[in-house]
Amino acid sequence: MSYRSSPLLRRLALAAPLVIILLLLPAPALAAGSGLSPLLPQGVSPNGQALFDLYNLISIPAIVVFLLVEGLLLIIVFRDRRRRLGPDYKPPQWHGNTRLEIAWTVAPFLLLVAIGALSFNVLQRDFQRPFGSPNDMEISVSAHQFGWAYTYPQGFTINSEGNASVQPLVVPTGRLVRLKLDSQDVIHSWWVPDIAGKTDAVPGYDNFTWFNIQQVGQYRGECAELCGAGHYSMQIMVKAVSPDDFDSWVAEQQAKQATPSPSPSPSAKASASPSPSASASASPSPSPTTSASPSPSPSR
Amino acid sequence: MATLAPPRPKSYDDSFWKPISLWLTTTDHKLIGIMYMTTGMLSFVIGGIFALVIRLQLSAPNAQVINADTYNQLISAHGTTMIFFFVTIFMTGIANYFVPIMVGARDMAFPRLNLLGFWMIPVSIIIYYAGFFNGGALNAGWTAYAPLTERAYNPGNGVDFWALSLIVWAISGIMASTNFLTTIVALRAPGMRLSRLPLFVWAQISTSILLLIVGAPLAAALILLEFDRQFGTNFFTTAGRPVLYQHLFWFFGHPEVYIMILPGFGMISEIIPVFSRKPIFGYSTMVAALFGIVFLSMAVWAHHMFTVGMDIYVETFFMIMTMLIAVPTGIKFFNWIATAWRGSIEFTLPMKFAFGFMATFLIGGITGIYLSSVPVDTQLHQSYYVVAHLHYVLFGGSVMTIFAGIYYWFPKITGRKLNETLGEWHFWTVFVGFNATFLVMHTLGLEGMPRRIYTYPGGFGEEGWGATNAFITVASFLVALSVLVFLINLVVSWRSGEVAGDDPWEGNTLEWATSSPPPPYNFDRVPPVRSFMPLRDLRGDRHAAREPEPAAR
Repeated sequence: MSYRSSPLLRRLALAAPLVIILLLLPAPALAAGSGLSPLLPQGVSPNGQALFDLYNLISIPAIVVFLLVEGLLLIIVFRDRRRRLGPDYKPPQWHGNTRLEIAWTVAPFLLLVAIGALSFNVLQRDFQRPFGSPNDMEISVSAHQFGWAYTYPQGFTINSEGNASVQPLVVPTGRLVRLKLDSQDVIHSWWVPDIAGKTDAVPGYDNFTWFNIQQVGQYRGECAELCGAGHYSMQIMVKAVSPDDFDSWVAEQQAKQATPSPSPSPSAKASASPSPSASASASPSPSPTTSASPSPSPSR
Repeated sequence: MATLAPPRPKSYDDSFWKPISLWLTTTDHKLIGIMYMTTGMLSFVIGGIFALVIRLQLSAPNAQVINADTYNQLISAHGTTMIFFFVTIFMTGIANYFVPIMVGARDMAFPRLNLLGFWMIPVSIIIYYAGFFNGGALNAGWTAYAPLTERAYNPGNGVDFWALSLIVWAISGIMASTNFLTTIVALRAPGMRLSRLPLFVWAQISTSILLLIVGAPLAAALILLEFDRQFGTNFFTTAGRPVLYQHLFWFFGHPEVYIMILPGFGMISEIIPVFSRKPIFGYSTMVAALFGIVFLSMAVWAHHMFTVGMDIYVETFFMIMTMLIAVPTGIKFFNWIATAWRGSIEFTLPMKFAFGFMATFLIGGITGIYLSSVPVDTQLHQSYYVVAHLHYVLFGGSVMTIFAGIYYWFPKITGRKLNETLGEWHFWTVFVGFNATFLVMHTLGLEGMPRRIYTYPGGFGEEGWGATNAFITVASFLVALSVLVFLINLVVSWRSGEVAGDDPWEGNTLEWATSSPPPPYNFDRVPPVRSFMPLRDLRGDRHAAREPEPAAR
């Protein structure tokens, strides 16, 4: 086990764990935005938080396996060199060992099944279309090259084109918001990393995602599916405000759009309005559709 | 070694520069193999230049080195070139050269089909690049998702050139696969039972089976896409089923990943035993693991599509299948480690690259587990995390094995060894440069930088992505430097390298029994094959004293 044969390699061997520790130690310190965060953003919505937790949970066996295998490789590199052992060393001619091979088949299998089970737990809790409750709000998101049209249950539409600092998606905190995504042209993907994972907006059927933001704040994201030359400019900004601020913002928007304005977006056709406050909507009232029925299947 | 001195026959590739007509018309699998490898290496250089331009564009926030449409063309061209025209083609070249020799055959089963299959590749490449000179090449990423590739959103000809090119490529791949399988099944030397095939040949069997099965769906998807574009059908248009394209593409696309890595696994399985002076650990498990990967890899394609909105039970199926691929891959890893364990290891350049491969590919394998978990994948999908992951398995995986294979077999192909000093420089620069480039790329993805964006705003958060991206760009030029050193080494050593002799490494397999370079039809007399290490048996290996020790069972 001595690395005496090569002082340089011995130094490298000492350096390797140090490098790994250096990489791992500042993990909590490197917050999002530094360009070097080794963790997922800690979601401000419960489903994003679940992804953060799951990612960290998977990291435990991942780091163990990484250290184990790289460690074995390093041991071989430093211990089993012919230059160190001399030309007379006769290596054992093993052709295999059934028990060992079964062990390193079964152990990874069990580990992976465990990771799969943990993932499935999150999946079936957070990835089904949430059942409607009177307090929920469903916003229709219609994606197009290169922007988003958000149609609120109150009937007005926010067009968010290009640079998202202009027109954010305003949502209330502490309330479950369901997004119904559709696309007018090519496939886009709605992704705000601080909130939760991404959901594709595909032409031809509705896709669903949801969030329930707990903190007031602005969260940025962008389209995550290459959708043409302006893909990079298809930014997203989500602004979470307190419920009172949200109500006054809604009233303001309704007043603004009550004056004759070009009809929002073709996708507004399917915006069902479960929220009672939508009754005062001044824009063309959406025809009642059944799209809000609590079907668990998100596709087609 | 002294027992092996057949009279050295006249070999036509003693000198590289022979009349063009020979190279155009030869049916010799070795010359065709060299042409495949040369084509692959040229593609590597071209694809690398694309990558450097991409990195320059991304080096700073709001940079404008090239315009957005050119950027989209270059990312598509980088992916297409590296995947279709470099890695797959280079692997086919190595196999074309060595599979017939390793099984003790005189040539491939269908030499003229072999030649036709090869020449379809330059045709395919030229068709694709012709797009650049006809109003712009494909600009929708190498995956070319519909409906972005449909006429309505992509009126130029780039998509058509790309689709036609890959249809030709797929036909060529199917030809080559048929040829490999027939060769291995029908033309083995006496004594070369299936249970004695070198693991590289087993890897080529599994690769060929995969390409044979998935090449046709790729061609089908592209033909349907062309129907949409040329004849106005609605398979993948906004009015049709765009996600169907993704299913068809990834039914090809995921096995393609294994088409690119399994031959590499085969090379590693050859190299480690030779330089450890030990037999491969668990030969039959290694073969079983290959077929486990073949089987599983065809049932995982939808893990590229976890965000399109599938039923959660379907997603769970694909998640579990994807995770299970880690089991046979893990078996191979542990068996390689057990092969080297307590060996008498000579860290020659092929062995260095083999270990470099294991060290980096492991990281790609581990990040693959994160990506296979559906919930986590919804964050990481289409982000720079995926870019980092795929480069860890493709560059840290396939390309490292290609380097290992070149250093291992270059003496056999040219009769000369690659220069050691340049080789050391190549290994360390590529190892450091590669990890510096792609390790921090994971963090960009974790922070929400999507892939395939032309540029990014500066200064949200504390420092933004600018510093990290600048670092990655600098590191990517270190990789370019290492490839330059490697190319110089190839040229210099081919002309005036140290003469290698027939068996410079004391190899185990039949290619080391013939001269370097091998004569036409490979062998004067095929040596007897009594195990999967015929050359070692022949040599009366000095380590054979402990050979009779039975396998511990």
